[in-house]
Amino acid sequence: MRDLGGGKTMARYLLLRLADAVPTILLVLTLVFIAMRILPGDPAIAALGDMATPEQLELFREKMGLNAPLWLQYINFVWGMLTLDFGRSLMNNQSVLALIAYNLPYTIELTIVAMILGVGFGIPLGVLAATHRNKAADNAVRGFSLLGYAVPDFYLGALLLITFSLNLGWFPINGGGEGFFDRMHHVFLPAVTLALVKAAFIGRLTRTSLLEVFGKDYIRTARAKGAREPRVIYRHGLRNALLPLTTGIGLSTLATLSGSVAIELVFNRPGIGKLLISAISERDYAVIQGGVVIFSLFVVLINLLMDLVYIVVDPRIRVQ
Amino acid sequence: MAISRRMFIGRTAATIAGASLASGFGPNAFAQTTDTLRLAFAARGVRTIDPAKSIQGADEWAIIHIHDKLVEVPLGHFPGSVSEVQPSLATSWTMSPDAKTWTFQLRKGVKFHKGYGEFSAEDVKYTFDRLRNDKALGSNRVLFDNIADVKTDGPSTVVFTLSQPDPLFIMGPLSHYSSSIICRKALEEKGAAAFEKDPIGTGPYQLASIEADPSQGVKLTANKDYFGGAPVTPNIQVRYIADTTARTLALLSGDVHMIEGVRAPGWVPSIKQRNANLHFDVASPGSFFTISFNLTVKPFDNIKVRQAIAYLIDRDQLANAMAPVSQRTYGLNPPSFLGGFTKDTIPAAVRYDYDPKKAKQLLTEAGFPNGFSFNADTSQREDYSSVMLIIQEQLRIGGIDMKLNIKDHTAFHADQGKGTNTIFQRSAAYPPVPTQAIIEQLSAAAEVKPDGSGGPNFSHYGVAIPGIDDMLKKAMEEPNLDRRVKLIQEIETRFLTDMPLLPISDNGYLIVRAANVDLGYQLKSGYAHWRLTKAKIG
Repeated sequence: MRDLGGGKTMARYLLLRLADAVPTILLVLTLVFIAMRILPGDPAIAALGDMATPEQLELFREKMGLNAPLWLQYINFVWGMLTLDFGRSLMNNQSVLALIAYNLPYTIELTIVAMILGVGFGIPLGVLAATHRNKAADNAVRGFSLLGYAVPDFYLGALLLITFSLNLGWFPINGGGEGFFDRMHHVFLPAVTLALVKAAFIGRLTRTSLLEVFGKDYIRTARAKGAREPRVIYRHGLRNALLPLTTGIGLSTLATLSGSVAIELVFNRPGIGKLLISAISERDYAVIQGGVVIFSLFVVLINLLMDLVYIVVDPRIRVQ
Repeated sequence: MAISRRMFIGRTAATIAGASLASGFGPNAFAQTTDTLRLAFAARGVRTIDPAKSIQGADEWAIIHIHDKLVEVPLGHFPGSVSEVQPSLATSWTMSPDAKTWTFQLRKGVKFHKGYGEFSAEDVKYTFDRLRNDKALGSNRVLFDNIADVKTDGPSTVVFTLSQPDPLFIMGPLSHYSSSIICRKALEEKGAAAFEKDPIGTGPYQLASIEADPSQGVKLTANKDYFGGAPVTPNIQVRYIADTTARTLALLSGDVHMIEGVRAPGWVPSIKQRNANLHFDVASPGSFFTISFNLTVKPFDNIKVRQAIAYLIDRDQLANAMAPVSQRTYGLNPPSFLGGFTKDTIPAAVRYDYDPKKAKQLLTEAGFPNGFSFNADTSQREDYSSVMLIIQEQLRIGGIDMKLNIKDHTAFHADQGKGTNTIFQRSAAYPPVPTQAIIEQLSAAAEVKPDGSGGPNFSHYGVAIPGIDDMLKKAMEEPNLDRRVKLIQEIETRFLTDMPLLPISDNGYLIVRAANVDLGYQLKSGYAHWRLTKAKIG
């Protein structure tokens, strides 16, 4: 097993990185808290409707703690986050933690499947393009990449939904499914939608990275020593192109996570993105805050994961 | 390992084939069943199915099937007269000559769902005391303001005493979903929070479950012991699909049988193109769409400017653009309401048919021969933005440049509530009581306040200029229905002359129904929800 810099050093490194994330998350929380209070729109009216009496609106605000001074609301909010007490939805009185616990797995599964498909398609496409530079295959991959960049995922999703769900009836039209196979059946088309866009990005990135590596001396040396072309491509080329690719995949994972918002709406599947959009339109502070915290945590965790992957893919990088 | 071009292509093809195989879980994901009627609404999820607290239209579809009221409006239309109101949990009723005391005889032997015992007058009293309780969270308290007291007289008689006469009491507050009778024992045992998610009523369906996934929504199962006979279809599923495309595709694919339509120009024709056999059920009047002029802002303080705008807005054109959901209105009350003006009954002086020449003349007299420009907020919601964009074009003919600021719907409402707009829009549904919309949108008591505590009288009518409050008070005190209706028509004529508010259209509530679903009756008018006890899937 590769030496990652020693167990203790590694643990210290991880802790330091997690500690680094605390101010970031606190800043995000503060910004969300302020933004929600600045936005026009009264959650009491959103919850009770405009036919509620002023007394009832006041009662609602009191019950939900919206009448407390802002600083107190902020402290309660931060303390709640620290103790994992995310509060209850202002709209349907459900526990925010329960809402997140239900929706989060759907978003994670969508992101993971989309990334597996995106990387699974994107890297071979990139290799194909790089190894056939300026030939028909390269042009086709570049055309696909251009299309992937240009077509919005929600539009692509709608097209796939119409074709494969409505016209062919191969996939469910909405929902998240129950049980492993049913869930995979439900997630496939939304994941393909996201994956096609990701594959375009990863394919192009792979091509560029590989082309850069192909110009290096060690590639020439390998070829001069008579190494077979696949060995040159995969062992010497792709392996050395992995570092920028890892960064790209990391960024792409974050983009997939945020891109899941539109896809969850189009495919009407449960998920944190859909939950957040609903909450924002209804000014459901508790759900928005809880959802944003979870999103922020994911951003931090994915960044951390990428740092660890760097160490694995590039032996030159060691924890200092 | 060496990879040849052929191997690469082969592996890619295998991956695609694998993906295709993965999709082969079944030829069609939507097995068609005839025992569950599936409905999908433009909402993000269930909020509450407690009738006293609900404000979300989609939830009301579950509420009206779980609960009964004392009386019901006829299936498929609003009652044209009080005599058309149907018995439900009340079998008969009497009104005192002063229209202030209503006595109801209750149906005997009706059982609450899930073994919660027999329905009695105590449950009726409990329901209405709770609705009138300022210290309990509720959404439609204002509808029950006129109830001074509710008393039981034995287990099967209940007496309502009203503060003011109301000859339309059974058509108004009592026909509204909020007055669904709840089970006192169940609410006290479960507590309010649990009751919201598991309400107990006497209706034709009982709650089976509320699913965590909004797209699976609320499941109802038939109450086989229902006093009105068991429903034709054993189960109903109320699903929540906010995205219009997803909802439409769910209908077209057969995943659901009925969906909430979109009140926007061109939507219905586009759906008809996909499937010409669909049914389009429109419950009129649906929402009353009105615009109110802010009388405290220049130049809308000038009556000639307001009247000019009324002549510039071609309401027939607007209704045609929104066909089949929209109908032009002449007064605030629609023709389907008692005393509502029609094309033939509206006095000519306040008819305001499209007349740009007259509008130009009025603008010239008001000192704006070349028109003027102003800013106005509107909502991004289709029914608001579509209408306002058409009006924007129509006003240009008179040289009026309305600069629209399209806002998020919640933010738009928040700003409207603080009175910051110039031309306010309101899309609101009302029970078939002709005073309700007038009280809410034109009475001085409902004047909008900068702190948001006021009502939806956005024009400041009755405060900025004299209004209709004296006439309204007289109408509200009139126990005789015919005389009351006449007074209401006088109020309508008066405000249409003063023009603080222009009724634009009634935008009916639209449900698109699959060709194989028979409703069991014809829908013409009514609330934005209707019972599906006779509905059958073919």
